[in-house]
Amino acid sequence: MEEKYIICEDSLEGIFTGIYEAYALREGHAHVHLQIGEEDNLRLFAVYLPVSSDPVKTEKVVQTLRSRLGEHVYHTLCRAAASCYPDKGEAVYKTVVDALTAGSGRRVMENLKNPYVARCFELARFTANEAHYEIEFIRFQELAAREGEENTVLFSKIGPKNNVVPFVMPHFADRLSIENFMVYDENRKLFGVHPAREEWYLVAAGEEFALKDLDLSQKEEKYQELFRTFHRTIGIKSRENKKLQRQMCAYRYQDYMMEFAQK
Amino acid sequence: MFANRILFYRTDLFIEETDEEAGEGEMELRIAPKMSVMDKLKILGDAAKYDVSCSSSGSFRRNDGQGIGNTVAAGLCHSFAADGRCISLLKILFTNECIYDCRYCINRCSNDVPRASFTPDEVCELTMEFYRRNYIEGLFLSSGILYSPNYTMELICETVHRLRTVHRFQGYIHVKAIPGADPMLIQRAGYLVDRMSVNLEMATAEGLRAIAPNKHRKNILKPMRQIQNSITENKNELTLYRHAPHFCEAGQSTQMVIGALPESDYQIMSVAENLYNKFSLKRVYYSAFVNVNEDRDLPAPAGGPPLLREHRLYQADWLLRFYGFKVDELLTEQRPNFNTAIDPKADWAVRHLEQFPVEINRADYYMLLRVPGVGVKSAGRIVAARRFGNLTFADLKKIGVVLKRALYFITCNGKMMYPTKLEENYIVQNLVYQNRMGRGEKLPFLADGTSYRQMSLFDDCHFEKNWKAVGD
Repeated sequence: MEEKYIICEDSLEGIFTGIYEAYALREGHAHVHLQIGEEDNLRLFAVYLPVSSDPVKTEKVVQTLRSRLGEHVYHTLCRAAASCYPDKGEAVYKTVVDALTAGSGRRVMENLKNPYVARCFELARFTANEAHYEIEFIRFQELAAREGEENTVLFSKIGPKNNVVPFVMPHFADRLSIENFMVYDENRKLFGVHPAREEWYLVAAGEEFALKDLDLSQKEEKYQELFRTFHRTIGIKSRENKKLQRQMCAYRYQDYMMEFAQK
Repeated sequence: MFANRILFYRTDLFIEETDEEAGEGEMELRIAPKMSVMDKLKILGDAAKYDVSCSSSGSFRRNDGQGIGNTVAAGLCHSFAADGRCISLLKILFTNECIYDCRYCINRCSNDVPRASFTPDEVCELTMEFYRRNYIEGLFLSSGILYSPNYTMELICETVHRLRTVHRFQGYIHVKAIPGADPMLIQRAGYLVDRMSVNLEMATAEGLRAIAPNKHRKNILKPMRQIQNSITENKNELTLYRHAPHFCEAGQSTQMVIGALPESDYQIMSVAENLYNKFSLKRVYYSAFVNVNEDRDLPAPAGGPPLLREHRLYQADWLLRFYGFKVDELLTEQRPNFNTAIDPKADWAVRHLEQFPVEINRADYYMLLRVPGVGVKSAGRIVAARRFGNLTFADLKKIGVVLKRALYFITCNGKMMYPTKLEENYIVQNLVYQNRMGRGEKLPFLADGTSYRQMSLFDDCHFEKNWKAVGD
């Protein structure tokens, strides 16, 4: 039996469309694989089937997953699909197979004996953890209001490994519901935008986009300095422990946090 | 004169934003002679840093669209200070002026330290501006005792009230209940904040008397009991009326100083257990004693504060709260202190080898919890995953069990991972050896109990002697 590789885009829609196509083949799942992007090293006895993302098929898969596996499993799969690792497509696909076809159903994420479920669990955990860290460590800067306007905008730049912006936005949309704010993912050139008292949305800025220098508001510098001072004074000298600090807040987050910036 | 001052301050406090120059001038003369917010923050942040509690968990509240903020049940840490402790809340004292003279405290009245006080508006502004930039999760407001407990509690109440009503702040607030303050004031504060705490300071009443002459155990336990009762009443209310106001949704906590007096771990843990069972506390914090005042009657350990002991106490505290252990199982009168070389759970396990090895595929959840290397999460995952088939050691690794600690105590399908002896000395030696080689337990500081220290040029490393040798 020859192996079939479904090639899909690196996005949630891509992966879900891929899963739809895999089921549409009706050839069982043992020899069907889901792969993200073209592979450099092509296999000799394999068939490659590229698929392009389709909103209708995606929606069908989403409906099935939500109704048959529950919100919890669905969200876990979404988190895994937002991972930065290329084997996520296969892991998500085979987890869905384990749930829908092998029958573990709503309890699928508990079946950690299955290597694909375990991998999916691991990827989802990484994304969830990173989203949690970003929720904690994001630093908003207040931008100067445009002339004649009073509205202020809070802006934050992050550089996460996984695509966490969609998981970070709901938290801030609730917390800062009356503020205008933006979260910018530097690695994916992706904006999460929240206008005050409205729904948030994502904006892909495109490959060529480069961030200009920010025009900060007058008060911004003052509060940054105040927090830097607080951050310095709150540490206890006789307990100093930089290793622990680094363990709790890795350098890759510290790079985006103004209190760690060398002044 | 005394009454006058209070009056002036109160005028300024409770009448909204009057521009009476004279009144303000008078106030500043007494409270804060021409001090910027930056200087105040420096002094009052510094003064608050020995308060350990910085958690923002236990309270879940969504934003109502009217103001700023919400709370997250798991809590969020927004930054980490140079000592590796989290910064979750804007932890400040309202004032570091204090009429008490507690010997361990940097703010005692006999100390000559710079004094400062915030005004409620300054606290509100700082909180709001820090919060919207996502620097903090909320406010932790403590205070020295200014004039009297009642006066201080009233100031705290007023500040929090302003933050909640004028600024419509819906984030997390933690305040201290001042022992000796009027129960009505504590009640009032409780409906405005998420968590309240009263510090027990010392594990024993005698210890407290020796170290804090103005504080009495009775006065500390009284507000604690009051808060406990109010929380219970509030819970009953909430079951009847869903929209009733919450009283200290995130419960109450307390703090004990460790290592200032010769108390044993057994005494400290027994007190903690009592607080959890009889006062329904959410958390008890332990704070390694730092001799800030260089008081000659109090110990000044050479290796810095007793961090390893503090760490072991926290580990045992977790065993009490999440693992179903009792203090009497961990320690006894004859063996009143924890073994610092291995963690309390492993220590318990090697002394109860008759209950091991545990078969992973059969043992119940509570027995799994008692296996070193298995935590609350992995125990839950094991119970869920073994429905689908027998687990092997490879599966356990993926589930998150720390096998290098667990392997002495478990079997999978009747087999141990490696042939090992089920013998106390053998296991302890192996665990200690692993720790010493840096492959075992991850301690948040070096294994000898001292904290991580970076060598600087000015450390005394006998450079001088070496230079001389070179010179000769």
